[in-house]
Amino acid sequence: MHNKTNNWMWHLLFVIALGAMGYSIYSASQKIDYTWQWNRVAPYIIDNSPQETFAEYDGTVSINETGIITVEFDNGDPALIVEKADDVFVSDGDLVFSGDMISSVEQKRMGVLLKGLLMTVKLSLISLCFAIILGLIAALMRISSNPLSRNFAFLYVEIIRGTPLLVQIFIVYFFLGTIFDLDRFTAGIAALSVFTGAYIAEIIRSGIQSISPGQMEAARSLGMSYPKAMIYVVLPQAFKRTLPPMAGQFINLIKDSSLVSVISITDLTKAGREVVAGSFATFEVWFAVAALYLVLTSTLSFGVQRIEKRLATSD
Amino acid sequence: MTRANYKGEEMVIAVDVNKIYPNNCHALKQVSVTVKRGEVVVIIGPSGSGKSTFLRTLNQLETVTDGDITIDGINMYDSATNINTLRENVGMVFQSFNLFPHLSVKENVMLAPLKVSNLGKAEVEKDAISLLTRVGLAEKVDVYPSQLSGGQQQRVAIARALAMKPDLMLFDEPTSALDPEMVGEVLEVMKSLAEEGMTMVVVTHEMGFASEVADRVLFMEDGQLLVDDVPANFFENPSHPRLQTFLSSIL
Repeated sequence: MHNKTNNWMWHLLFVIALGAMGYSIYSASQKIDYTWQWNRVAPYIIDNSPQETFAEYDGTVSINETGIITVEFDNGDPALIVEKADDVFVSDGDLVFSGDMISSVEQKRMGVLLKGLLMTVKLSLISLCFAIILGLIAALMRISSNPLSRNFAFLYVEIIRGTPLLVQIFIVYFFLGTIFDLDRFTAGIAALSVFTGAYIAEIIRSGIQSISPGQMEAARSLGMSYPKAMIYVVLPQAFKRTLPPMAGQFINLIKDSSLVSVISITDLTKAGREVVAGSFATFEVWFAVAALYLVLTSTLSFGVQRIEKRLATSD
Repeated sequence: MTRANYKGEEMVIAVDVNKIYPNNCHALKQVSVTVKRGEVVVIIGPSGSGKSTFLRTLNQLETVTDGDITIDGINMYDSATNINTLRENVGMVFQSFNLFPHLSVKENVMLAPLKVSNLGKAEVEKDAISLLTRVGLAEKVDVYPSQLSGGQQQRVAIARALAMKPDLMLFDEPTSALDPEMVGEVLEVMKSLAEEGMTMVVVTHEMGFASEVADRVLFMEDGQLLVDDVPANFFENPSHPRLQTFLSSIL
């Protein structure tokens, strides 16, 4: 019981220290000439602004009794049809000119930051799948008895771990992208998967090698082939043992994906840069971007902890 | 591959087996052993004598450098031999149990029949439970190996090896890693297997088991097979001076 009260005091001290740090940051930010405008960030997360429709060319408006607006263009292009409108700025029979506003609709849309967040999730998830496959193959090649596959896996891991991801992204996009005609999204996925795959290969290799050789021997002595023994006996145990470093690598992947913004993929980081340019709320936007990354990574580590707990039943 | 119609008397024929490790350690020197169907052969010897290495060559966990091994009529080093098929017929029990920690006791026993023999799950489960009942662990089928004592784990390992219905069982110091009070329960299971006519090759330090259960006892030292005799002669009337020294040092 004595110990427990002590712990409570430390927790309390932690909260107080945190408060003090927060206060000093706040008072420091008061000293500089900056007006905090958090409300400016909100529209970039959820966009409430009405969506407006404009006439593309000159034409004539007709509105029928159900409220559907049809604009017949003079140049013979297919007519513009607006079925739903909250505000209508034209009336039946009006002549409109190119660029005139026809109507607007109230709606909630994803803001730029949220779209960027989705792009980051998409990039990370797809790269993760490829990285695990690549990493598993490279790890198995690395521990194989065949020098050819061993050397190839060694070369792959060493080259990828020895060069910066940013440089790899440029090489994949500008060099390979030119040769194979890759779009930026494919190039980004390729660079991220190959990079993360090398690290995952090392994690899986060390995981496999940490399993006692007796496990493989026992499986083989029962008549199981090498691949079967790997799949049913060694890999499940290695998987469990590599979960913590693997989770770290997945979190790294999410953060590393911010680097693809250099090849103009609008991920969360690039979206942040765009929003800063449009809103001038520099501080708030970067804090918001950091918070969104944190939401992603902490969700992931929470999920991995749950899996670890479930797998711990056999311990 | 002639096992299907092989009903010969010899289960194991090892001829002039040599094993030289890459570091030039000569672990087995011209070892020749024949084990007949239904025989129980115990191998004893000081540590480093090559007895475990020899046992492990019998299911090719160690490959031999030179020599020939025939198991139940199949030459292990014939290019037509599928080593996995051969191993299905040779069960092995290890000193450190080597149970699969991520699987329950029942799943440990069921894994190989399911994945290798491709039998139906219901049938395999029934077999597994009857095997576990036979080794006295019927009430432990659903627990994980880490929750069992050493003796219980080793009995599961025996059941797991038996699940493939082997004709030959290899035991590599099955009681050496056990607390003394658990040795008996494992030896009991092994004894009952021997009584049912299983062909067994056992590496052990349990002299009581050797003299009581074995049909023949082999003595190995320094990679050589020095003595191959019936237990009575082996223990009461040791012929080889090295064996005399060994027995006097342990008894």
